[in-house]
Amino acid sequence: MQIICLQENLKQALNITERIIGRNLTLPILNNLLLTTENNRLKISSTNLEIGIISWINGKIEKPGEITIPAKLLSNFIGNLPNKKIEMRVKGSQLHLKCENFKAVLNGLEAKEFPIIPKIKDKPLIRIKGGVLKANLSQVVEMTSLSDSRPEISGVLMNFEKNTIKLAATDSFRLAEKIISHNQKESINQAMIIPQKTIQELIRILGEKEAANDNQGQEVEIILGNNQVLFNLGDVQIISRLIEGQYPDYQQIIPKNFTTHATLIRTELINNIRVASLFSGKVNNVQFFIRSKPALIEIFAKDIDVGENKSQIEAKIEGKEIEIVFNCRYILDGLNNIMSDKVILGLNNNSSPVIIKPVGDASYTYLVMPIKA
Amino acid sequence: MNLKNLWQGALGEVELNISKANFITWFKNTEIHSKKDGVVIINVPNGFTKEWLENKYNKIIFKALRGACPDIKEIQFTIGKYPPLKPTAKYKKEIQEITPEKQLDFEEFNINKETNLNPKYTFDNFIIGSFNELAQAAALAVTKHLGTLYNPLFIYGGTGLGKTHLLQAIGNELTQKNPSKKIQYLSSEKYTSELVDAISKKGMESFKPKYRKVDVLIIDDIHFIAGKEKTQEEFFHTFNTLYQKNKQIIISSDRPPKAISTIEDRLRSRFEGGMIADISQPDLETRTAILKNKAREKNFEISDDILNHIANHVQKNIRELEGALNKIMAVCQINNTPPNLEGVGKILSNLIAKPKKMTNFKDVIKTVAEFYDVNINDLIDRCRRKEVVRPRQIAMYLIREELNSSFPSIGEKIGGRDHTTAMYSYGKIKQEVQNNELFKQEINLIKDRLYG
Repeated sequence: MQIICLQENLKQALNITERIIGRNLTLPILNNLLLTTENNRLKISSTNLEIGIISWINGKIEKPGEITIPAKLLSNFIGNLPNKKIEMRVKGSQLHLKCENFKAVLNGLEAKEFPIIPKIKDKPLIRIKGGVLKANLSQVVEMTSLSDSRPEISGVLMNFEKNTIKLAATDSFRLAEKIISHNQKESINQAMIIPQKTIQELIRILGEKEAANDNQGQEVEIILGNNQVLFNLGDVQIISRLIEGQYPDYQQIIPKNFTTHATLIRTELINNIRVASLFSGKVNNVQFFIRSKPALIEIFAKDIDVGENKSQIEAKIEGKEIEIVFNCRYILDGLNNIMSDKVILGLNNNSSPVIIKPVGDASYTYLVMPIKA
Repeated sequence: MNLKNLWQGALGEVELNISKANFITWFKNTEIHSKKDGVVIINVPNGFTKEWLENKYNKIIFKALRGACPDIKEIQFTIGKYPPLKPTAKYKKEIQEITPEKQLDFEEFNINKETNLNPKYTFDNFIIGSFNELAQAAALAVTKHLGTLYNPLFIYGGTGLGKTHLLQAIGNELTQKNPSKKIQYLSSEKYTSELVDAISKKGMESFKPKYRKVDVLIIDDIHFIAGKEKTQEEFFHTFNTLYQKNKQIIISSDRPPKAISTIEDRLRSRFEGGMIADISQPDLETRTAILKNKAREKNFEISDDILNHIANHVQKNIRELEGALNKIMAVCQINNTPPNLEGVGKILSNLIAKPKKMTNFKDVIKTVAEFYDVNINDLIDRCRRKEVVRPRQIAMYLIREELNSSFPSIGEKIGGRDHTTAMYSYGKIKQEVQNNELFKQEINLIKDRLYG
């Protein structure tokens, strides 16, 4: 293999692919990246056997070939080179690199031993703008459960319906739902649960491409295969296993009616909760008093070791007064994913969930269960 | 040679030919899915493994399988259901500290929506003692011989003794064993409310087939359909349809079919047609065992003495037993002290020394009359019809037992009878209670109502 390409391009491709590689002791080749030439381009692949990422970059291919190189070493080395032409040449199981005043020889492993990343040949379910996908997924991705005990909620649900994609994530204490509308003609009815890690990678890669001002407005194809999903970003592909199982029927837990509504300014609420969180107890418990006369929300936190704090925010209150305790982290997670100036809270009693929605945007719903004192 | 052995043999050979690391990575969680006409289908955990085995190790596997079983012509790979590989990023298992404040979660997620079953109830955590072994054995038998051995299975026993646990355990066991079977668990109260809903919305057409298409119907607390005629009629038809198709029906109640008043005879006789098993009150040893189990489940360190103490004092009801344990746990955690006998005594004092509800002669008569559906006046009158005489004797027995009245005063109060009549009644019923377990339960039920 003999290639000449630009440092900038190579660096970006390495950044994209290298992140999923962890330290794998049983199969050392998994710590490597696979470099191959394909259709006059350089293809870089990585996998941890759950996710596979493939990135293509342009360059001058003088001689086709392939090799695997330890990912961390290669990306650290390339990252520190000047943005000039890089010449790569494979000799046996070594990669010789040359860039301006730098020269290096990297020991690799045979490409034959590198896991084969599965291919998905089905037709795409949908095409969607990368920016839209990224923004919407980021609003729910944090809410997934981290525990292994319930695999089906350790991922993000993507439910494709006519004209909408519903995204949902929950860890059984709180839940976020986001509805993306699309105008694809063919009606699709498909649901899949995608591991949180995959979604995080997808968001990161989309972000990286956005930052590089690359393929603005480029569409992402989502393709469903046998137990796998492929996100095709054009010159990057992410392939991941799906999580088996039935996602809980979360719609039924979203209350439709509320006895109390409170509307207030989001940034104020965030600020006051942050202050209160300094005084919260072991379970991040912060108490909320929603008062109608005068109309305000009082936020109170107390810890025996630290002290106590109380603050008030003006709000528009409709319905009954209520006292309720929440884990302030859960509330903040929701508020931080809302973009609007004002938010509306809907409550029923101190043992049923509170709903948080942006004012003027029906597509996002955040639900939190209270703490029972 | 079964498939498991065949695969193990093949793996043994494969292991010799490839490196340890490769073997562990690629052959973990694989198995033979099926073998038919010389085609072996191998289940693999994910797409990567499938690609790798297909492309790299196909030959080795083929050779190894051929060696053990020469008629194999082809191998195929399919992605089966397996737990995901351990995530590379290690998340520390969050150890939830038990504090007095409890973060609530969405409870609905824990219930399987299709079957209505809560997976926390299993046979494994069902504790068996002499008081419930018949019911447990019958339940287990049902899971092995679905619809043929005991149909219907009727389980009865007092409140908080584990009927629901047993019923749900059957359901859960079955969903695990045969996921294709349609299992439906519901309480009779829910059945009624769905029926009412269907009638009011004119949706009977969809209601009727809903429960006639299941393979296993589990109805909890059937006694609540007593007196609801339309529900009984609809249930009767559902029952018949299922029964004729050899579908399993499992029913629970707080009393035997005979003792459910205002239930139609045709239903009653059907309930009695299969197997009737009872759950009575647990003995001391079982109560202690249950407590031990619960404490272990909750990771709570507590000495046997204390468990014995609780078991000794909370006697009637497993739910109360759990409640007592929970209370002790909570108090110990708030005060941050390990449980000791003295403290436990204090904590339990209000649970144990629950003031025995006072009852009086009038209540006894009224309850007995209601239980047997006879008129209070008839009970006191001189009437000697058989259906009145027995309740009268039971009433006299209960007055003596519960109120410790003298025989002459009992006779006096019940229609001015002679004290010897009261003595005779008392003796007769007492003896029957001792000899007849069924009858004893009946009496216990009346007592429950009296104090309930």
